[in-house]
Formats: sequence, C-alpha cells, structure tokens
Amino acid sequence: MSEATWLNWLLWLPALGMVAVGLVPRGRDELVRWVTFGCMVLQLVIATLLYQRFNGLDSGLQFATDVPWIASWGVGYRIGLDGINILLVALTAFLGPLVVMGSWSAVQKEVKLFHAMVLFIQFAMLGTFVAQDLFLFYVFWEAMLIPMFLIIGLWGGERRIYATLKFVLYTAFGSILMLAALIYFVLALQDLRGTMSFAFADLYGLPLPLSTQMWLLGAFALSFAIKVPMFPLHTWLPDAHVEAPTTGSVILAGVLLKMGTYGFMKLGFPLFPEAARVMMPAIMVLAVVSIVYGACLALVQTDIKKIIAYSSISHLGYVMLGLASLDLIGIQGAILQMVSHGLVAGGLFFMVGMIYERTHSRNVADYGGLAKMLPVFSVFFTLLTLASIGLPMTSGFAGEFMALLGAFNAGWTAHVAGNSLPLTLAVIAVSGVVLGALYMLWLAQRILFGEARAPHSPLTDLNARETGILVALVVAIFAIGLFPSGPLAKTELAAREFQQRMVGEQVQLGSMTR
Amino acid sequence: MNWAEVIKAMLPEHVLLIGILVLLCLEIAKGRPRDGFAVAFLTLVVAAAAALTLHSSHYVGMPFPGHFSVGPGASLAKFVIIALTVPVALISRDDFDDTRYYVLMLSSLYGACLLVSSDSLLTMFLGLEIMSLPVYALVLMAQLRPDSAEASLKYLVMGGAATATFLMGVAMLYGWSGSLSTDVFSIALGSSDPFATAGLVLVIAALFLKAAIVPFHGWAPDAYEGASVPVTAFMATVIKAGVLLAALRLFGARQALGPVADLLALLPLVSMVWGNVAAIRQTSFRRMIAYSSIAHAGYLFFALLGSGPGRGQAILFYVAVYGIMNVLALAMLPRGADDARSDRLESLQGLYHRRPFAAIMIAIAMLSLAGLPPLPGFIGKFLIFRNVLEAGFTLYAVLGLVASYLGIYFYLRVIQYMFMNATPADVPSGQPRRLAIAASLVCLGPAIALAFFPSWLLDRF
Repeated sequence: MSEATWLNWLLWLPALGMVAVGLVPRGRDELVRWVTFGCMVLQLVIATLLYQRFNGLDSGLQFATDVPWIASWGVGYRIGLDGINILLVALTAFLGPLVVMGSWSAVQKEVKLFHAMVLFIQFAMLGTFVAQDLFLFYVFWEAMLIPMFLIIGLWGGERRIYATLKFVLYTAFGSILMLAALIYFVLALQDLRGTMSFAFADLYGLPLPLSTQMWLLGAFALSFAIKVPMFPLHTWLPDAHVEAPTTGSVILAGVLLKMGTYGFMKLGFPLFPEAARVMMPAIMVLAVVSIVYGACLALVQTDIKKIIAYSSISHLGYVMLGLASLDLIGIQGAILQMVSHGLVAGGLFFMVGMIYERTHSRNVADYGGLAKMLPVFSVFFTLLTLASIGLPMTSGFAGEFMALLGAFNAGWTAHVAGNSLPLTLAVIAVSGVVLGALYMLWLAQRILFGEARAPHSPLTDLNARETGILVALVVAIFAIGLFPSGPLAKTELAAREFQQRMVGEQVQLGSMTR
Repeated sequence: MNWAEVIKAMLPEHVLLIGILVLLCLEIAKGRPRDGFAVAFLTLVVAAAAALTLHSSHYVGMPFPGHFSVGPGASLAKFVIIALTVPVALISRDDFDDTRYYVLMLSSLYGACLLVSSDSLLTMFLGLEIMSLPVYALVLMAQLRPDSAEASLKYLVMGGAATATFLMGVAMLYGWSGSLSTDVFSIALGSSDPFATAGLVLVIAALFLKAAIVPFHGWAPDAYEGASVPVTAFMATVIKAGVLLAALRLFGARQALGPVADLLALLPLVSMVWGNVAAIRQTSFRRMIAYSSIAHAGYLFFALLGSGPGRGQAILFYVAVYGIMNVLALAMLPRGADDARSDRLESLQGLYHRRPFAAIMIAIAMLSLAGLPPLPGFIGKFLIFRNVLEAGFTLYAVLGLVASYLGIYFYLRVIQYMFMNATPADVPSGQPRRLAIAASLVCLGPAIALAFFPSWLLDRF
C-alpha cells in the first residue's frame, strides 16, 4: 500500500465509523460506544504511524493525494501533510479516543446520534487540516458547524439552544464572506495566470494589488478571527463553552479553536503577504488585547468552565502574537502553543466535566478542600493548572515562552529601527502570563484547599477510565514540555517557509531547535 | 414535415401525452383509482428514460423549425424536470385517489417540457400556459381546508396578470424586431432601444411573477400553504424549474448589461432578503417553504447575471438540487387529519424522538437549502455566486451571500424544533405517507451523488 493511502484511511475512518454507527440497531448503546472508540483508536494508530514517518527535512507535501474532483473548475481532492498541519492532525487524532472515553457515562440520551456526530466532527476537523485545496478546505470548514450545532444543542446545558445558535450564526457569518473572497481570489488567479485551480500550491504568491489583498485578507481574517476567537469577536465562545457538554467543550477548546490560527498560518497570511504585513500591527494589538482582556475576564468569573473558556481566549492570543511576530522562534512557539493549549484546555474541560457529573455544579463558590476529598482529582487538576500557567517542563512553557521570545525578538528589531510599538506590545503580553498564573492558581486554591465542601458529598474519586484520560494528557503535556525538539524538528522547515513567504526574503539559518 | 423526426425529438412529450390519454380513458371507464397512480408513475419513468436517452445520444433535432428544437441541453433539462416529478407522484397517493389529479400533473409537466424546447416566443407562451393552467386546478383540489379556494383564486389572478404581461412584452419585442424567435430576446439585450428594453422588462417581469420574485411574490405563500403537500412540492420543483429554464433559454449566451442587469440583480436581491427574513416569522411549515422559495428564486435569477456555459450549469444544478431537497422535506412531513394543525412548525417539535428517519431527512433537506456544505445545496450556491463574481458584479455577489446568510437561521430552527425540543403534549397524530420512504430514497440517492460527484451533472451541460 502506498504511503498516501494511509492518510486517506486516517481521514475517511471517522466517516466509515459514522456509517457503522448508523447501522447499529437501536438500543445497543454500549456497542455504539465501542465502535466509535475502536474507530478512534485505529485512527490514532494510523496518525502515530504517519507522525513517525513524517520527514521534517522534506519541505514538500507528504503522503499527498491529488485527484481531480470537479475538474472543470480546477477543484481537486487534494490532501497531504506538511509541517504546519502534522502536529494538529496528531493532536486531533490523539484527542479522539479520549473524547469518546470522556463521554462514556456522561452521555445517556440519543447515544447513537451523539457518537455519529462526534465522528462527523472528527472527520470534518481532520479534513480541514489535511485539505490542500481551497474548495475542499471550505467544505470541511463549514461542515464542522453541523455536528457542533447538534452536539451543543442536544446534549448541552440549560441555555443550550441560545448558545448553539449564537455559535453557528457567528461562525457562519465569517464563512460567508470568506466564500465570496475565495471565489474572487480564484477568479483572479484565472485572470492572471490563465489556470483554474483551487490548489493551495497554485494560489501562493499571486501578485495582487495591495487594495485587493486587503479586502480579501479582511474577509478571510474575519472568518478565522471569529473561530480563534480574537477580541472583539469572542463573545460566542463563553456561551458555547459553558452550555456545551464536556465532549463539546473539549473538541471546541482542543481542536476547533485551532482552526482559526491554523487558517491564518496556512492561508490568511501567506496568501496575502503584503496586506498581512500592513495589517500586522493591528493583529498584534488585537492579539495582546485578547491575551490581557481574556485573562482579566477569567479572573472575575465564578463559573469554573467560564474561567477556562476565557483563559482559552488569552492563550490563543499568544499563538496569534507568535505568528504575527514573523520571527522563526515565535512561529515555532505558536505552533507548539496550539498543540499545548489543545492538551491543557482539553484536559481542564475534561476535569470540569468529571466534577460536574458528580456534583452538578460548576460554581467555584460551591467547592473547597477537594484535595482532601478527591486526592487523585486534585493531583491532576494541579498538574493541568501548572501546565496552563506555563510552568517549565510543561508544554505550556515551551509554547508561550517561544511565542513571547519571538515577539520580543521582532519587537527589539523594530525598536532599533525606530518603531517601539511591537516591543511595547510584547511587554504588555508578558503581563498576561502573570494574570494567567493569578487566575489559575486562585481557582486551584479556592476549590482544592480550605474547608472541605462540595455539593452532593461524599464524592467518589476518579475511576480508572477518567484517570486514564488524564494520564494520557499529562504524559503528552510533559513529553512536549521536556522534549520540544521532537515536534519542533517536524515543523521547523514549514515555519521557515511561512516566514519566507511573509518576509519575502531569505532569512539566515540557525535556530534554537538544533 | 419529417414525421420520424417529430416522433423521435418529442419522445418524452409523446410519452407524457400517451400517459395523459390512458389516464383519461381510465377516468371514463371508471377504473380503480390506484391504477391512475400506477399509470402516472410508469409514464414518468418512461418519459424520464426517454429524455435521458435523447440526451446521452447527443440527439439534435428540429421537428418544427423555428418553433421547437431539441438538443442535449434541452433533453437534460427535461430529464431533470420529469425525474423530479417521480418522487412527487410517489407522495401523491395518500392525498389524491383521483385519476384527474395525475392528468393535471402530467399536463403541467408537458407544458414545462415544451417550455425548455421552445424556439419561438409563441411556443414558449404555449408552454408557460400549459404548465400553469393545470396547477390552478391542482391547488384547488386540495380540499383539505377552506382557504384552498382563496389561494387558488389568488394564484389564478396573479398567473393571469403574468400571462398578460408576458404577451405584452412579446408583442413589443415582435413590433420592434418583426420576429417571434427566442433569439429576439437576446438580441434585444444588446440593444439600447427603449422599445426593446420595455419589451424585455415586461417579459422578465412576467417570469418574476411566475417564479415569485418580490414584489410579485404575494401569491406564493397562500398558494403553497393552501395547496396539499404534493402540489406544494410540485409547484416548488417543476414550476420553478420550468420558469427558470425558460428564462435560461431566452437569455441564450448573452450577458445582461445596463438597466436590465440592474433589474435582474436588484429585485432578486430584495427577494433573497425579504424571503429569508419573512420566513423567520412563519408558523406554518409550507408557508415557510414558500418564503424560502421566494429567496431561492432570487438566487436562481441571480445566476442569469453571469454569462457563458456556467450560467446553464448553475441553473440546472441548482434547480435539480433545490427540487430534490424540497420534495425530500415535504415528503417526510407527517400527514395529519387536521391539515392546518399538522402543518404548524410547532408540530415538528421532538419529531426526531418520534420518527428519527423523517427528522434526519428533513434536517438534510434544511441544511442543503441553507447552503451548508457538504450538502449539494452548497455546490449550487457556490456555482451561482461564482458566476456572478465572474461576470464582475462583486458587490451584488457579496450582498447576495450576506442575504443567503440571513436564511440560515430559520432552516436551523426547524432542526432545533425536531431534534432539541421536547414533543409537545397536544401534538397532532400524524401518519407518514405510504410511499414516503420510497420517495425519500429516490431523492436521497441523487442528492448524495450530486454532493460527491457534481461533475456528473455539470459536465453534461
């Protein structure tokens, strides 16, 4: 079997799983869970295989498939792995089985539909990451809305319908303008080069006038910024997160939010480099505002889930800052931070779900002294809190530190050249780290220590299934934190390529990853 | 006259005609009502097969030169229209145990076939009338509720006005050019003579009326709501498709410019916005579908802004997918004794928990109508806006896309009702139609095929 076939299997396994789940007779809930879980595990195995065989020294697409789909408009079924998406594909595949495990006991109604939707969204997310064709990318990008709409709306909390409609209407608005922009863009390619193609490879480096680039980037950026979400387009996120079931929150925080930053990195910035350079200060400002504003809002929340939701806004701000710095270390940090946030925030949402299943409360004030009542839970919560703060040895540290370092590098260069704005922004961004430590540690202190109280006590500590999920996450967090050079080696070339596309000139070699 | 050519070129029409005659004989002979359905179904399948055969053999024929011609494109359009009627016939059995119903339906279909093959404005007028007249009676035949008569009368009056407007426009075009050929229309598009433009505007207004474009849309909500479900499905698919394919025939390959282009852009744009906004307030499912159809008519006329082969591709694809999805949604509605109550949107609440298959099918239809990928409705939407952008109407395309965004909400609300709300206590007891599953599979197969392999249909045009 050729290597490209493996990537196709990885992508289509969830779709096949959906069909399989559909064929399971009604009422066999346990079987549905096992089928979904088996499908996800198989997928993880394939993803691991692909990750290991991915060659970081090869700058081209790997495991690529390219067959015409709608040939008359140059749309192809083009998929492949490169340095930018390899880690995100791995992250998505890694979270898949954990998500199924996490919902094992929490989801009791409409089990079949639920798992079909989990597989559907897995399919759409993987498709968005591996797509190398603008049309295909858009199809997967939009397709994600449907399962998420149902997951939040059917299995969510009290205000789930409001939250899910808000989520869909917000994201769909961004996408509709992106659709206009992408059609316009492809038609411009046809005018300039005479070929009709939606392939990413053909679209890079199209010499468009700056004003056109600005409009197109604006439309793409709106869609991506809503998904990230960046201030001031973030208001859907807290509602969606709070009302979503645990699975929904984990998928949202773990993978879905990365779609936005991935979109910026893969499409938004490199397709329109001149416009992106013009808009970069604005993007940096918004990134820093997201960091600080998200952290400040997290500080004042009384709902545990909301604290983590706002912390996501803050943490993804670092990703945007790292990308916008256009510094190799910053870009690498941004990629790492995407993965790290997926693991850490995903883990924290899992933990909120676990405690909520026991107490049916997410209110910080209801808890205290969990360290005595639930020692295992508390150990993991502390570990994830530390990773979220960005303590050295955890993945959070590697990501945030590199992103900030990149911002400082770029800021210093600009400062020497007479523009102090980037440096000032970098300095302000650091305050986000302090605020992050403040709200997370304060949260941990309030719920883990002090007088022991919790609704519905006495509580049972984590069972083997729950512990397993968290062990997997914590191991991954420390693995990346201790040995960041492994994943970074896979992404370095892609990061360098991204930087070159953006800066438009050869940059000197040598980085901290060697 | 070459009789062999007459027989071959008009094969689908002849099959329909034979079917109509057999049905009339059955009616006279007082045959069992069930036979009427069987004959109609068989007729449709054979006619669709005939149209497809003509298309795939690339048959070109002019049995009546200057009035009626057949090419692969026209045959394909006929195939789509006839094939769309197959699931409509399948869901008709519960509502109409009546041979006359099928006679009217096939007659209307005959008109639609004539329409897409017409080479002269006269044939086109004939086709338009043969297509429309039976539908006035079909709307009235519902007899499920007292307001059917009012709906039918409204439709009749508006249809009559459309006829008059169309004839007036044709007369002016004839006066301007001295010819009745459909080419006159596209030649007039390139002319700046006010007389020609007036003729064009009248003809376009008549088409707008027939397709329910704002401000000529008033009849649609009443007619869609007052008619019985299969008739609503027939109106939403065949009539809309017929009108649009006629428009396509008229425009030829020429691009509209100047004031005509603005007319073609602005009123459909208003339709999209108004249709999508007004649909939000509706409490009746069929009324909501009517407003949705007003919005979709807007998208379809938008496609005429473009030029070249892309226009035909877009309209044919859109019409096919739009028709399939409408029939799919309407076929799956539970049929209650009290039509007004079971048609209420609230009656759909909790449908997934009662009838999961029906709910999933309606959800697929709604998502496709909303234009969300990976459903085929998205590809249709993409095609249309790609054409509009290609023709250089960037602003109109962006506004149209934003208008289509407005529609997402009410489609999602249907899904919300079906999946996320609990079944209300006083839900009317509805039964699914007997052949609804068959109808849904007839719709679902092509829908999946078109979503995954759109080239199959696109490359044929």
